Amino acid sequence: MTFDQKVIRNGRITVGIACIANFVPALYVGLKYGVQPSISVLLQLYGALAATYGITWIIQPIAYYPTMGAAGSYIGWLAGSCGDIRMPAAAMAQKIVGVEPGTHEGDVIGTLGVACSVFVSASLITLFVIIGNQVIPMLPSFITGSFSYILPSLFGAIFVDNARKNLKAGLFTFVAGIALLYFGKKIGMNSAIINILVIAVGIGVSRVLYVQNKNKEAAAK
Amino acid sequence: MDVTAIMTSPMLWILSGIMVVASVSQAIVFFKESIKECKNLGISKERYTAGIRSACITSLGPSLSPVVSVLALMAVVGAPTTWMRLCDVGAARTELGVVAIVANILGVDTANGLDLASFDGALWGMALNNIGWLLITFALTHKMSGIVSWMDQKYDPKWIKALLAASTMAMFAYLLSNQLYTFDIKKWTAALVSGGVMLVMTTLLKKHKRLQEVALGVSLICGILITQAIHG
Repeated sequence: MTFDQKVIRNGRITVGIACIANFVPALYVGLKYGVQPSISVLLQLYGALAATYGITWIIQPIAYYPTMGAAGSYIGWLAGSCGDIRMPAAAMAQKIVGVEPGTHEGDVIGTLGVACSVFVSASLITLFVIIGNQVIPMLPSFITGSFSYILPSLFGAIFVDNARKNLKAGLFTFVAGIALLYFGKKIGMNSAIINILVIAVGIGVSRVLYVQNKNKEAAAK
Repeated sequence: MDVTAIMTSPMLWILSGIMVVASVSQAIVFFKESIKECKNLGISKERYTAGIRSACITSLGPSLSPVVSVLALMAVVGAPTTWMRLCDVGAARTELGVVAIVANILGVDTANGLDLASFDGALWGMALNNIGWLLITFALTHKMSGIVSWMDQKYDPKWIKALLAASTMAMFAYLLSNQLYTFDIKKWTAALVSGGVMLVMTTLLKKHKRLQEVALGVSLICGILITQAIHG
């Protein structure tokens, strides 16, 4: 059995188990204490959640696939926080080892990176949940206040690292992203749709630049 | 029985733990398979170990990010559910969003604490939301790898490589824009400082291999601490 075949087999088994485990606490509390919500309430809940997150359910796993690979996707979507934790870990591991995303080597190293990120984040979250109530209030406010800047710092650094390889496309996509989010949110556009539009802009600009470079190379010959 | 006692009961810890164990076990299985495949591909131990170190260091910072959400979520749904939901599908802010949606539908004010029925409603809400991502991952991931190989064969592989790199770059451009589109000067400062440090470390200091492994972690720490020092 090849690596890819093993990935798909193990990935589908574990995600399949997770689909069932996902409902166990809700079923336990509902049945044991007789507070199971009625089907109509569950449908109402599902409808509200689908309206809020439905497009994201479909778009994110597809959009994140090129960086995460198959195994990274199985691990990343089960462990969650794909954009915040898994993608940066996969991208940095690929960069340090010197492999390209989307290649077989890239998938293997990306998987190592995503798996390691699960070990780190699961350990830290377990620690927070156990000792968080006691320890976090004791941290200086300078430190706890700085936590609110983690995500802009993280994405600032990782975007710069990605965009410097193709500066024109990177800057154009970033400016388009700001404009699409700024105006899109004003007219109530869904975030997942904006996400897809930004990716389309990035791919479109890269395609234009790729064709231009190819034509230049052909002309030089 | 007291709702808080049920929320933190040993049985709920055990049942919530199934998902955490599934996620970590899955990561262990794939980790082992990837190490084996690295050896098959001739990727030296030194190289993949450097990748592992870098991924671990990179994950530390963003894993600290949900600290405040951990406390907020624990106050509403208890420690076992917080533990399960932050170790599985969806980011911390998504879980808080789901609790808010459920509370709205059930007509409950989370500030007054959940009663048992609304707590079970919140558990159902989180499960129903997560199943969306899990089912798509289950149904589509194995097809995606086939689509990429098909594209490689049908189109110019150089362009496919550039396309995949462009989609990764654009995804990070979106994630960054999503932080900055409100033009909050503090967030811009954090992104600029962190991006600047990253640029210096990956260009001027690129010969120092060990530094490259910690580049993102160092950039992140500089970004958050300098921003906090400037803006408070």
